[in-house]
Amino acid sequence: MASVDLALATIAFKRKIAYKTTWLFSVLFGGWSMLAGLAVWNHLIGDGEIGGYDWDSMKAYLIIGFLTSTLAWAGSDWDMANRILDGLVSIDLTKPVDFQRARAAEYIGGMTASVPAAILGTLIAVLVFRPAGPASPLAAALTAFSLLFIFPLAFGISYLATLCCFVTQRFLGIQWAKDSMVAFFSGLMVPIALMPVWLQGIAWAMPFVHFTTTPASIYLGRVDTAGALGLIAAEAAWAAGLWIIGRLIWRQLVKKVTIHGG
Amino acid sequence: MTLKRAVPARHVFAIYWRTWFAQIRAIVEYPADLWVMASAGAVWNILQFAFLAVLFANVPNVAGWDYHEMLMLSGLLSVAGGCNALFWDGAWSTGTMVIKGDIDYRITRPAPVIIQVGSSHIGMQSIGEVVFGAAMFVYGWIGAGIGFAAVPIGVLAIVCAALIQCALVTALCAVNFWIKGQASIFAFLLIELQGNAMKMPLGIFPSGVRIVAMFLVPVAFVNFVPVSVITGHMSAWWLAGIPAAVIGSVLLAVGVYRLGLRAYDSAGH
Repeated sequence: MASVDLALATIAFKRKIAYKTTWLFSVLFGGWSMLAGLAVWNHLIGDGEIGGYDWDSMKAYLIIGFLTSTLAWAGSDWDMANRILDGLVSIDLTKPVDFQRARAAEYIGGMTASVPAAILGTLIAVLVFRPAGPASPLAAALTAFSLLFIFPLAFGISYLATLCCFVTQRFLGIQWAKDSMVAFFSGLMVPIALMPVWLQGIAWAMPFVHFTTTPASIYLGRVDTAGALGLIAAEAAWAAGLWIIGRLIWRQLVKKVTIHGG
Repeated sequence: MTLKRAVPARHVFAIYWRTWFAQIRAIVEYPADLWVMASAGAVWNILQFAFLAVLFANVPNVAGWDYHEMLMLSGLLSVAGGCNALFWDGAWSTGTMVIKGDIDYRITRPAPVIIQVGSSHIGMQSIGEVVFGAAMFVYGWIGAGIGFAAVPIGVLAIVCAALIQCALVTALCAVNFWIKGQASIFAFLLIELQGNAMKMPLGIFPSGVRIVAMFLVPVAFVNFVPVSVITGHMSAWWLAGIPAAVIGSVLLAVGVYRLGLRAYDSAGH
């Protein structure tokens, strides 16, 4: 990592925690969706099981979903989008820094600000709700490794979403569409195992599934070691693929930038 | 800072509609923007529909609520959110305006600040949200076997849901007058809470959540209470609570915004 990347990541990190009260409240209330999910699935599963998930494994699934979504939704989507919407992108074009790489550094710097909150919230949830443990020490290690890919995957998807701002005037609706795609096809709203086979096929063909289903499947031993390594390889492939797709789309959309005056 | 005296309601409505139609004219100038955003709103609703379809393929009912009744819950919530984006999306910009000092201009103009801010944007995702949300609501209505006699209640429910949603979002966005930040974190939390909890029957949640949703932050009156009354899960007497929730929410929004304007100290230079 070049020093400029580190500098941009540090600035994004500091910007994220500059508004301390907002950051504090986002930490305190970030677990709402997990608590709601626990209430819903506790009611639905009871003493039985759905889709191969009993109550203990569903608790683990939802807590992993909380951890990954807290990380994934903590990036600097709005900062990226506003650069395009406000026209700052025209200034960026004059700088000797690659736009995508600079935004990636800022995005991951912003995500890093949420790591303490995500870990603290996960620890509290584990202590309070006592979910199922990992299938094996190796499964736990592979789960932790798979979680690292959340960073480039989240950036890749958010970057593609913010590129839409070249043809729109607002980002809010795009962000909600992106977030709902991630929530549904990651399995956060409803586990992929409960979906019909054709929908499962669609979900596994997209990158979103690696936000919740992949780490949860590895953790709970729903895939063996070879399967876990295959899923991690798929995560790496998507991280690289999204980077390349982002670059290709950028090349087309940046032509829309019009600079007036002079 | 001294606030201006009240202006006539007719003037307020005139300002609102002139600004709103100006936004509509701007939207027509950018058709790509319109279609991308409308599609984004549609995606959200299609996925809500898919969520319920997947859920009810695995369980027969949720706390006594069947598939069609739950579609009505989600549909009404989407219509309310869509109306917020269609008629009052500017409220979401309060935090950004406070940080950038953009409220300054609006204070100097002869119209209520809250009206100017609320009508400063139209979220075009609202088109997808309102159309698909209404489709879910009507499909659920027909599937649940509810007749035409309840249509007036349904219309009242939609109007009140939109008003409560706009008012609560405005009140929570106004918190950014004190807790500075570009993102309206409290309003986002409201939407997240609604998205996670209010598309489910309240009965599955602990009593504390029910009390908060019914009486403290009356999100239950956006969709849960009206749909419960229409489908017979709650007594018709609860209908009286819906206009009361509208009045309470609007007064809360206006009150918090006024207090926020008193606390506003511009961006500083």
